[in-house]
Amino acid sequence: MRVPLSWLREYVDVQLSPEQLAERLTLLGMEVKGVERWGADWRSVVVGELLTVEKHPYADRLHLTTVNVGSGEPLHIVCGAHNIAPGQRVPVALAGAVLPGGRRIERTEKMGIASEGMLCSGDELHITSDAEGILILPPATPLGRDLSELYGDAVLDVDVKPNRGDALCLVGLAREVAAVTGAAIRWPEISVEEVGDPVSDRLRVEVREPELCTRFVGRWVSGAKIGPSPDWVQMRLQAAGMRPVSNVVDASNYVMLELGKPTHTFNGAAVKDGTIIVRLALLGERLETLDHVERELTPDTLIIADASGPIGIAGIMGGFDSEITDATTEIAIESAVFDPVSIRRTGHQYSLRSEASLRFEKGQEFRLARIGADRVAQLTLAWAGGALSKGRVDTAPTEPAAARIAFRPARVSKLLGAEISVDEQRTLLRRVGVETELASSGTRIQVSGAPKPLVVDPGSERTVVAIVPTWRRDLDIEMDLAEEVARVRGYETTPAHLPDTLMPAYRPSPLGVRELVRQTLAGAGLSEVVTHALVSPLDEARLPWPDDAGEPALPASLAAQSGHEIVVTNPLSVQHSVLRRHLGASLLDVLSLNERQGRSDVGIFEIGKRYARVAGRPREWTRLAILLTGAAEPAAWNRAARPYDLDDAKGIVELLCRRLGLAEPSYVPDTRGFPFHPGRALLVRQESGAEAVAGRLAELHPDAVAAWDLRAQRVIVAEVALAGLDVAAPLRVHVEPLPRFPEVERDLAVIVAESRTAAEVQSTIERHGGVLLRRVRLFDLYRGTPLAADEKSLAYRLVLGAKDRTLTEPEVDSAIEEVRNGLETDIGAHLRT
Amino acid sequence: MDFESLSGDLHRLRDLALAEIAKAADPAALDQLQIQYLGKKGDLTAVLRGIGALPPEDRPRVGAVANEIGEAVKTALAERGSELRSVVQAQRLVAEKADVTLPGRTVPRGTLHPIPETVAAITEVFGQFGFVVYEGPEVEDDLTNFQMLNIAPDHPARDLWDTLYVDIPGHLLRTHTSPGQIRVMQSTRPPIRALLPGRCFRYEAVDASHGFEFFQVEGLMVDEGTSMADLKGLLDEFAHALFGPRKTRFRPGYYPFTEPSVAFDVECVVCGGVGCPACSKTGWMTILGAGMVHPVVLQYGGIDPERYQGFAFGMGVERIANLRHAVPDLRYYLENDLRFLEQFR
Ligand SMILES: [Zn+2]
Repeated sequence: MRVPLSWLREYVDVQLSPEQLAERLTLLGMEVKGVERWGADWRSVVVGELLTVEKHPYADRLHLTTVNVGSGEPLHIVCGAHNIAPGQRVPVALAGAVLPGGRRIERTEKMGIASEGMLCSGDELHITSDAEGILILPPATPLGRDLSELYGDAVLDVDVKPNRGDALCLVGLAREVAAVTGAAIRWPEISVEEVGDPVSDRLRVEVREPELCTRFVGRWVSGAKIGPSPDWVQMRLQAAGMRPVSNVVDASNYVMLELGKPTHTFNGAAVKDGTIIVRLALLGERLETLDHVERELTPDTLIIADASGPIGIAGIMGGFDSEITDATTEIAIESAVFDPVSIRRTGHQYSLRSEASLRFEKGQEFRLARIGADRVAQLTLAWAGGALSKGRVDTAPTEPAAARIAFRPARVSKLLGAEISVDEQRTLLRRVGVETELASSGTRIQVSGAPKPLVVDPGSERTVVAIVPTWRRDLDIEMDLAEEVARVRGYETTPAHLPDTLMPAYRPSPLGVRELVRQTLAGAGLSEVVTHALVSPLDEARLPWPDDAGEPALPASLAAQSGHEIVVTNPLSVQHSVLRRHLGASLLDVLSLNERQGRSDVGIFEIGKRYARVAGRPREWTRLAILLTGAAEPAAWNRAARPYDLDDAKGIVELLCRRLGLAEPSYVPDTRGFPFHPGRALLVRQESGAEAVAGRLAELHPDAVAAWDLRAQRVIVAEVALAGLDVAAPLRVHVEPLPRFPEVERDLAVIVAESRTAAEVQSTIERHGGVLLRRVRLFDLYRGTPLAADEKSLAYRLVLGAKDRTLTEPEVDSAIEEVRNGLETDIGAHLRT
Repeated sequence: MDFESLSGDLHRLRDLALAEIAKAADPAALDQLQIQYLGKKGDLTAVLRGIGALPPEDRPRVGAVANEIGEAVKTALAERGSELRSVVQAQRLVAEKADVTLPGRTVPRGTLHPIPETVAAITEVFGQFGFVVYEGPEVEDDLTNFQMLNIAPDHPARDLWDTLYVDIPGHLLRTHTSPGQIRVMQSTRPPIRALLPGRCFRYEAVDASHGFEFFQVEGLMVDEGTSMADLKGLLDEFAHALFGPRKTRFRPGYYPFTEPSVAFDVECVVCGGVGCPACSKTGWMTILGAGMVHPVVLQYGGIDPERYQGFAFGMGVERIANLRHAVPDLRYYLENDLRFLEQFR
């Protein structure tokens, strides 16, 4: 809310500078977002006196004027307005002046005659809405003075929190200032002279939805004359950010800003039979609102109607047909209290939210309906004349008494962690208009309100009852008063104290394994990325990552269940409208962005979530995704470049398994093809029933690379599930006792058909190695002479040993013989010697 | 042959050997000389063959001389060998001279993203005060995200959280990490000290200071006497840990799920409190929101507000990271331009 300081001063004395006041209000919870110098954007605009006004020789619509600006020679200024005459004081923009919006005024020539500046309208200065005539200043306005000195103001931009609708007005903020400074509040003097016939002769109100419209106060002014409101009113409204419209509409807006009470003024003549009906819209009813939009009303919309149909959407916007126009003389004033929820829903439904509806949404003080109606009537009479009919139409004249809230001062101190005496608490509350008295026996404490009410008996605890002013609708439970005490005392006085209460039980951090993985991968040369969870639905088509659940090779415990994409029903854009089911596409986006920056060597990883709807419920899984492309090791003066390939991805997974104390992973070919290279894709898992690693590593199919418009030739992408990524898993390394007897190494060169996989050869060796075989490691892969074209040779180093003895040559030979036979019979291999 | 002549032969042999050893140019020549003089078929052996012609009483004397001479030749060989090796080594070292000013062989080193790094920094500080980490779902239900946090369906404060909804009835993308408060309270009993980091979503157009996906860390502490002073004490420690010794202040804030609610300000990290554009000339920067847990929220968590009280706080990870690293644009984080990420080596 924009608060012009000069206007605020009408209700409370302010000795502080605008910046000091801003800080004090901020510390009181009325956060001042900024202090604007209103009129600061007028530069070189001064007060001038018109000396002569003559017709322009070559243009009928223009005048030639001479203007005394207090010093120097009179200026010659050409002006197009018709409301000027010699002797008037007017705002003069000198050559070089800057007007609101950055408009610069220079010496010009209009129809062959030089103009040394410009006379300004109220609109050009953003003071009033009058764009036709020049702003005529009072005769006593000091000549030559800078206009910003005379009319400039400090405007505070106050962020009023949603629970403090009462402070969304000048009087409300004046109350807060008074709480800070101790100054007294000057309430606006509201009095009206009723001279006309009884209001009941003019206006009848029928509320058919008393739940949604709890009070309707009506007033009637006859014989008003519509015109602009006084300049000072227009200036205040402009400074507060509202555009002046006409005296009657301005009166309504002025009261909204002054008291926080939205009201509406109708052209009384357009209200058929002088009867206003507050009801729900009927199916098919339509209304053209003030913004000239014809709206189809839905049956849950609360409307203001007359006998012939809707004339306004209650609390939101009036109808065009009953708008106040220049010809209007009969004014119907509506000052009502509407249900906040209904207003909020309706505002959302029609995408119509106004200053008025924002205030209705926050709830309205019941009393203000009466006061607001009187104030609008008072200002209408003052600014537009006419006669006010006697009395008010009022559908609920009984106004509730102040609420009484009991609280225990000791509890307030305990919550705040500061010892604040009962007397001090009572004094502090008095500063925000909350009177207190000691509670009588039997008083109960509202510890918690709806939707989880809790009322307790304070027992012997000292209890005070707060009598809450009717405008403080936010004060409801005991702790609300604690906040009020803290607020007025000053949050900055809160003592700092480190907790000395009991510690919680140990809990392993779910971030632990992720942290190890991050550190390990960064150490291995990969860069971590964090990408959007919301992606384009097209990603799935461009990179149809297979479902783990349908893959028997993967352990069920880690494989994500298949499910459906979770779709955002109100997305900001289609690019980010579904939750990703896999992370690969996100990394391709990162690659694409970096390729556009000229990067071709990219090794990245992300620990992120994938999402799916399974059996109607949302599910989330944390996964590690890796993308490698370009050079793993870029060329340097001492090293040739080496491109990333699938082995790097496998090596990374193997490194992680070692780091996390997991069994080595094993690989199963995945020959499905698109989106993967049919010969370079695999499933990763663990043998021996361990289920700590599962996922896919693949070089992308060239068509998939093309679908992402990438320059890269080969892109390796992996998505892996690891035990401990989602739920903290303890890392535990089990130590083998060091061998007491020497181990024996034997190398085997195994020649197999090209179609045999390394995994087959290795598992065959392990299967036939017997109890003496401790470890097997592939150390060479050879193709070429003297091997046949469809053969390859895999060289393994076998380590054999026994716990209780040194192996003898014959023992080792027979174990190796066993392996050789197994290789021959199982996979048709023979050994190269 | 007599003793004198044999002894004379031996001494001549010695002189010859020592002279040749002294002239040897490389270890190979020394090896040759060793064989020539001391080998089984060497000159010394050849001379000693004449020993059989001596009278038996002279033989030990010749043996002693031969040993002495043999030792002398061995010593000379060893000394010359050592001499030659150090020459060769010195030559090798000279030949091996490298340009040590050339750059090293790069060890690949990746980078860690500032979001998880900042989360780690935050959890590290609070971890020292006994806070343990929990996580809640990102696809949250409306009940936990709003209603149990005292935000009814038509609460005016709902405007503070523009929400993205999903096609699962009653569910949405969590707008903050605060629903984690409910989940922690429902899953454990006081004393509670919990941290909840995670991704959040809002219906918000993207610009330099807004995004529809962002990260928060929520904190929750509940016990019998946990007060606003404890909150201030902990947040002071946190601010000092991350931003150095700076002034801090509490001022009133507003959240439906805390009462009283707090905004926590730290002396501007740019201007140090003098006032600058970064702090809107106030000298202060708000780094998080906090407050005492509302009794409605405690009750939804299954905790009796008459017995227990506590505080909660929530901070934007990007906000903290921006202040620590002077990141000018929020979009940098999820864009993942390596030129940005590689500055965090
Ligand atoms: Zn600053």
